[in-house]
Amino acid sequence: MKKGSASAQDYLELGQFYMLNQKYSEAIKQFNLALKQKPDANIYYHLGLAYEALNQIPQAKTMYCKALALDPNHKDAQVHLARLNNK
Amino acid sequence: MANKSFAVIGLGRFGSNIARALAEKGFEVIVIDADENEVQKFSELVTHSFVLDATDEKALRDAGIADVDVAIVSLGQNIDTSILVTLVLKEIGVKEVIVKAINDQHGKILQRIGADRIIFPEREVAARLAESFVSPKIFDYIELSPSHSIIEIAAPKQFYNKTIKEIGLRQKYGVTLIAIKRKIPIIKDNGTTDFKEDILIAPNVDEEILEGDVITLLGRYEDLARIEKL
Repeated sequence: MKKGSASAQDYLELGQFYMLNQKYSEAIKQFNLALKQKPDANIYYHLGLAYEALNQIPQAKTMYCKALALDPNHKDAQVHLARLNNK
Repeated sequence: MANKSFAVIGLGRFGSNIARALAEKGFEVIVIDADENEVQKFSELVTHSFVLDATDEKALRDAGIADVDVAIVSLGQNIDTSILVTLVLKEIGVKEVIVKAINDQHGKILQRIGADRIIFPEREVAARLAESFVSPKIFDYIELSPSHSIIEIAAPKQFYNKTIKEIGLRQKYGVTLIAIKRKIPIIKDNGTTDFKEDILIAPNVDEEILEGDVITLLGRYEDLARIEKL
């Protein structure tokens, strides 16, 4: 990936790659880079997921809320937030 | 404050730890126990150490106990002796007598006969640790006994990518790992990531702890609290 040419989608995919390899802290870095390019519900959802995977529950909830603020119909964010609120 | 003097009567686990901590802080400490071996261990560390029967008023006076500012009585399960010693200490005029009690009745009697402060170390430690367990890192907590419990806790960073053997959970930390809850990431059909939760019961010592794992540990409060603080 050439520096400066990466899109939000590239960072999101790279972050997902780290997620799949259970490197959650790395994933968070990439998702944050993606957010800088374009605030997007799906990126916030993935950030929430990475925080949840790291057991940082308050941060995870904040991210799911941000995802839902941008897209109230984001199904996965709804499911995860509801689950964390019920714990 | 610095020249405040203490007498520690009874060198069981609690008494010896107190005596050591006070001596290390530079206070004048006199230790007394009926067991010569226990007393011997302190001969170099504290100001004076005596092998004597702590219910013997004359022996206590001769040892200079009447002049200490604080006497700490910690005689384990021996309730009768602890009561007698407390009485004698008040009798000979020790300003402050602190006594370790093993149960409520013992505590009440000590209060009646004039102990200035009664402590329930196990209970106090448990309460303090329970407090520390109300931490965002701890997800569940079961009290097994006054000294042991089971906690479910986010694995500390220091454990990441190390095997259970390498971490030395049992050898170094004195706790037993019962289970690991691990999130397994998946890609869904719509391209978003999600995870499912996997649980490894009684994992092998060669199992690695991964970032984000939640571990269930069984152990003494002190040992669990040590891990919680990592």
